[in-house]
Amino acid sequence: MDKVLCSVATRGRYQTTLPLTLNAIINQTKKVDKLVIFDDNDEPQDMRKELVYSYFFQILSIKGIAWEWVYAGKKGQHYIHQMANGMGFDWVWRVDDDAIPEPNVLQNLFNYTHKNVGAVGGAILTPPLQFQNEKPTGKIELINREPNIQWSFIQKVKEVEHLHCSFLYRAGVHDYHLGLSRVAHREETLFTYGLFKKGYKILAVPNANTWHFKNPNGGIRSESNEILYGQDETVFNNLINYSDKTIVILNGGMGDHIVFKRVMPDIKNPEIFTCFPDIVPGKSIAEAHQLFGDLDTWNIYIKMYQWKWKDSLENAYRKLYL
Amino acid sequence: MIIISPYAKALKSGKTNPKNYPYWKELIRLIDEPIVQVGIEGEEQLVDDFRKNLTLDELGKLVDQCKTWISCDSFMQHFCWDRKKYGIVLWSVSDPLIFGHPENINLLKNRNNLVENQFLWWEDTEHDANKFVNPEIVIESLNANFP
Repeated sequence: MDKVLCSVATRGRYQTTLPLTLNAIINQTKKVDKLVIFDDNDEPQDMRKELVYSYFFQILSIKGIAWEWVYAGKKGQHYIHQMANGMGFDWVWRVDDDAIPEPNVLQNLFNYTHKNVGAVGGAILTPPLQFQNEKPTGKIELINREPNIQWSFIQKVKEVEHLHCSFLYRAGVHDYHLGLSRVAHREETLFTYGLFKKGYKILAVPNANTWHFKNPNGGIRSESNEILYGQDETVFNNLINYSDKTIVILNGGMGDHIVFKRVMPDIKNPEIFTCFPDIVPGKSIAEAHQLFGDLDTWNIYIKMYQWKWKDSLENAYRKLYL
Repeated sequence: MIIISPYAKALKSGKTNPKNYPYWKELIRLIDEPIVQVGIEGEEQLVDDFRKNLTLDELGKLVDQCKTWISCDSFMQHFCWDRKKYGIVLWSVSDPLIFGHPENINLLKNRNNLVENQFLWWEDTEHDANKFVNPEIVIESLNANFP
């Protein structure tokens, strides 16, 4: 049976919605194999001393659910989700710290985890319901012109191109884009669209309703810097504009560029940004920074470190780009 | 003619790059062939013929003319491999299974000397002459593989 990790990123909600979220996770009809709470608070606390949390932790142990409380790095929730993505589980169910899933949500999402499925999401509902008469397509090109398909009850299974907020996804096959600011605006849209572009089905499914208590206080996106939002929106639009291409960022040494040349002919429709255009022709790294923000997503050395790589550099490039 | 490329990229800290072979002078004395050193301005000159700051075209032409080459784990081993001109690479702390090419002769003293994390900056690793093969082993390999 595939193993499911539940990840909750939290900030500023110790005493408001986080306990409701944890209670809902604990009481799912399908147990998660592990729950990890990523605490991104500026002043993190030891919640084991708090009565309600103390009971939560005891109930998790009684139910045989492994759990971990991780103090996160305050770099944004995309970093948190990427950490969860690489924890070695088959699936990750990400639940926001103000999202209250009904007891059957995980089971009903998990029922759709077939071989070619990359992510499954249910309805994410905030009263008062506003979008029940809309018929959104879930296509990325319409993201600014239609409500998200998850914002209303979902009547039947629909293949879409992106999901948001909380969903279940196949772990370890696609990376979160770490080029976004700490606001991480659009991080889940980029992530699920990336899975879609890799050929996985993205499903919006019925009977998996999560109530989203949009809480103006706290939250993992509580950053209010409009400039960062704007930057993330620009990065998002640029990535979508390049989505028919394979973005290649070569920000290593000359030797790395030479090795990469062996891989280049096999890459579909590459758009290359390079430090040494006399070895591998392409646009400048400065332009890549401007378009896509931080470029760690494409740093082959970071990737090899994350993959605990033992094979050749050439094959690492193949894994990254093919 | 044999090309030597003695030095890996200089570290910003000014420390010796842990990939730099420490026995070049001894090795050069044992080579009974004309030697051309390639590198960049600022590197120590080890032989009379030191060609600095060559363009990739110039370096390629030189490589095409040589019998073989000897270098540490640096750009040179990739560049020559790409031109299908194979030579000897002198390893210490970086892993030839990751960064090397099997077509070259990869002389590594002991895999126990490899740093655990191969993907960090080399600034964090101290240079240790004991982690390299002796010049006699290099000469043996040179004579055996490139007679």
